[in-house]
Amino acid sequence: MTIKVLAVMFIGLAGGLAVGSGFVAFLTVLGIIPRLTQLTKTMKMIRHYEWAVVLGALTGIAGSLRDPVLGISPYFMVPLGLTGGVFVGMLAAGLTEALNVFPVLAKRLGIDGKIIILIMAIVLGKIAGSIFQWVYFVHH
Amino acid sequence: MEKTIYIRMRNRVLAKPEEIIYLDDIAQIIAPETIITMLKKLKVHQISIHDRNIVIIDVMKVIKLISTLIENADVQTIGPAQTIVEVILKKKQMSLPFFILIWFLLFFGSAMAIMNFHDDVSMRSVQEKLYKIITGVEDSKPWIFQIPYSVGLGLGMILFFNHVFQKRINEEPSPLEVEMFNYQMDLDNYVIIHENKESMKRTNDD
Repeated sequence: MTIKVLAVMFIGLAGGLAVGSGFVAFLTVLGIIPRLTQLTKTMKMIRHYEWAVVLGALTGIAGSLRDPVLGISPYFMVPLGLTGGVFVGMLAAGLTEALNVFPVLAKRLGIDGKIIILIMAIVLGKIAGSIFQWVYFVHH
Repeated sequence: MEKTIYIRMRNRVLAKPEEIIYLDDIAQIIAPETIITMLKKLKVHQISIHDRNIVIIDVMKVIKLISTLIENADVQTIGPAQTIVEVILKKKQMSLPFFILIWFLLFFGSAMAIMNFHDDVSMRSVQEKLYKIITGVEDSKPWIFQIPYSVGLGLGMILFFNHVFQKRINEEPSPLEVEMFNYQMDLDNYVIIHENKESMKRTNDD
């Protein structure tokens, strides 16, 4: 029995270790945190940002493994949704940047000056696609 | 008499077809005043149709030309070992319909990509569960959460590419500008080696 418990605990720890390091590695590759510190000039606070990510992940684990009910006003969902969206948007932007999408496109099409319009196409496409999905698509 | 000539090749130079390229165009020169005007007017290359759109001028060629011009010249080279001369054959004209086509391609492409992503990661069930955790109410349409999320999605991308803060924080280049620069450098490196190899092959074949 004890051995079974220890084995399960060990496997759980190993799985968590793999997923956690993978998550951090993913964030590092996409360079979201450096980008945010660069924008806000808060390089010195990077330790706290690390902890914010770790604590956020732990809160997410607590929320998804247990079933807590907080009973807060629904308006609290607005900033939560907005910040969550910004994070996912930065992930998506980091991914397109890591894949060199824009430089290749601009070079192929010869439109160095109008690249912002192309970015706006992707940005507006993401917003439109997302709203369409939640408001219409998933209910039909 | 001291005749040290310092040469620093420029990285990239744009040229017109049939243009004659002088040393002054492709390099910075420091030399004694007696010879500097002569050096600046030194003809290095005549662009012809065979060159197509890229010519690599190696510093070795320049040194050779200088030593035929000036005897016992002491040429010191600094910086890049070659200059990439890009011949602009035609002014690239962007056609508007083509641009609009690409715009809509990106628009609908990214809209579909984000929908597939949401479906792939079961975003809907996560959002509904999160809504229940926080408000304690079950709702299959938690739009108060989902619409800010959607707007934030676009905002995050803009933030990453630095268009909101562009005016306030302008010292650093945006990641996109760095990425464009890196891509250009990669292309240049490829061209430098590839084009040189090409010319080597050609002389062997002759």
